[in-house]
Amino acid sequence: MATKLSLTNPLLTPEQWSQPPSRIAKVPAPLETQIRHFACELIEAAGILLSLPQVAMATAQVLLQRFYYVASITQFSVRDTMMACLFLASKLEECPRKVKDIINVFDYVVKRRRNLLITPLEMFSQAFYEMKNGLIIAELQLLKQLGFNVQVQLPYGLLVTYLQCLGLVHHPQIPQLAWNYLNDALRTCVYVCYQPPTIASAAIFLAARQCQCKLPTQPPWWTVFDANLDDMIYISGHILSLYETPLPTNIPLTCEELESYLENVQAPLSNSPSDQV
Amino acid sequence: MSQQRKASTDQLRLAGCRSVHLYERLNRIAEGSYGIVYRARDRQTGQIVALKRLKLDQETQGFPITTLREIQALLIAKHPHIVDVKEIVVGDTLTSIYLVMEYVEHDLKTLLEEMPSPFLQSEVKTLLLQLLQGVALLHDHWIIHRDLKTSNLLMTNRGTIKIADFGLARKYGSPLGHMTQMVVTLWYRAPELLLGAKEYSTAIDMWSIGCIFAELLEKVPLFQGRGEIDQLHQIFKLLGTPSERVWPGYSKLPHTQTFNFAVYPPSNLRQRFMHLTNHGLDLLTRLLTYDPKQRITAEEALNHPYFQENPPPKDPSMFPTWPSKSSGEKVRLIHSPVLPQADHAEVQVDFSPAS
Repeated sequence: MATKLSLTNPLLTPEQWSQPPSRIAKVPAPLETQIRHFACELIEAAGILLSLPQVAMATAQVLLQRFYYVASITQFSVRDTMMACLFLASKLEECPRKVKDIINVFDYVVKRRRNLLITPLEMFSQAFYEMKNGLIIAELQLLKQLGFNVQVQLPYGLLVTYLQCLGLVHHPQIPQLAWNYLNDALRTCVYVCYQPPTIASAAIFLAARQCQCKLPTQPPWWTVFDANLDDMIYISGHILSLYETPLPTNIPLTCEELESYLENVQAPLSNSPSDQV
Repeated sequence: MSQQRKASTDQLRLAGCRSVHLYERLNRIAEGSYGIVYRARDRQTGQIVALKRLKLDQETQGFPITTLREIQALLIAKHPHIVDVKEIVVGDTLTSIYLVMEYVEHDLKTLLEEMPSPFLQSEVKTLLLQLLQGVALLHDHWIIHRDLKTSNLLMTNRGTIKIADFGLARKYGSPLGHMTQMVVTLWYRAPELLLGAKEYSTAIDMWSIGCIFAELLEKVPLFQGRGEIDQLHQIFKLLGTPSERVWPGYSKLPHTQTFNFAVYPPSNLRQRFMHLTNHGLDLLTRLLTYDPKQRITAEEALNHPYFQENPPPKDPSMFPTWPSKSSGEKVRLIHSPVLPQADHAEVQVDFSPAS
């Protein structure tokens, strides 16, 4: 079957969901989830420092989620891919940033997140050159592996419309809370499993529950927005699981880091994250 | 975590680019700044397609944003009069990337050059209507093409126009924001761009359509400037030098202060297009209006009385066909039989030695 190009979001098939390439490459599922979560967090942080609009960060995170369902973490370095995702998203959203700015900012956020000494990256150093090379190749890989399906439809606009329909726009908490859930959900797989209407409904569902706000159930309000209860509960579960355990600081980002991490995991867990860098 | 999701059949799948080797290259169609275009055959279905190889050699800022815009614009603008991009395939190296597009036999420029006589009025109307429909859709979706010209208009053997080459197209917003002025091929470039206006909009496409309209009527491009100044000079010569009266804000444009242009009397389009009806001339005048705010929009142009009056637009299926240059067809010379030789014709005596 020819890979079609479309503006709608591509979703995973059940096979793609149950057997991501990283799983085939023997990366344990919890680690993969953590790596995705961490990479998305770094994209968000870098985007803020680059003063990019939220759509660019959101697009970048969805691209990263998509990419690692067609390519393995062991083969394509997360560090290069996350830079490429933000770089590409900045172009897609008509707010391009320079390669050198992307590299510097990511270098900074990674060092900060790992509590390392923050030293500016030398422009003509080997490290900079390698990161630049990695970024350029990762961008082409991103386009190639995704079959150029890099258009991302986001649910933010829908959320506002839905809130208006439900008469919730002036509620003191729900709009902001639902908005935040949409942002956080970017760190999970929901944007590659569901279309925007369902995701927007789930964010309202979860926010309304938090605020103990009653919404029409006869008929259920979400049917108007093409959502169903099972999907919303599933999405909510994914979002809430983000808040359960804080991320460790030694999450591997390059292929080499991942390799040595996986070796160490076979042995009892070491408590020295610093030697991972 | 269990996944309970209904798999729908028409859902877009996540999958990588396919290989270019699924297509068999037939011949080269054209080469431009954007890359090389080949005619190719799908090995599985036998369908003929156009393969456009992207040029990625000199990129310092990664994958070119213009190509991303082109793909995005083509995805948004699905229309019978806009060329269809089917998929994107990759070659053996990471930098060989090809757009697979529907193959269209002619481009309007070559066709106009090769045609023995210009299009008929009814044919011009059909082509112009199709062009306007395509452009109206683009503008409706907040896309400016920015490079409309006859060589970017493809034409099938069934009298259908397809707008192609979205290499300069981009989305615009409200407020307009900064966009580069280095757009549109010189001969089709609107006066506000030539005069260095900071902001521009969909009206620049409409000016290009005006130039194309005239070219369809006359078979030759309307303004063929040798440079930006000469281009302006030619425009002013035909349409009269603009003034603050016909174009409010004209005197404040960056280049009006730097150059002194000769003052020409108002438009003599009528003398140039003597055989065009009044409605036709009115449409041309509205397309070639100096003030971008007053220039006709694609939507308005579609409802112009020119398309209602006689002769009506010709049905596309009634269009004549031409040999397609891009698929290597040649004009077949038909040798009519020689007249029978009369008996009293000069007798050819064969002096060669008998064998």
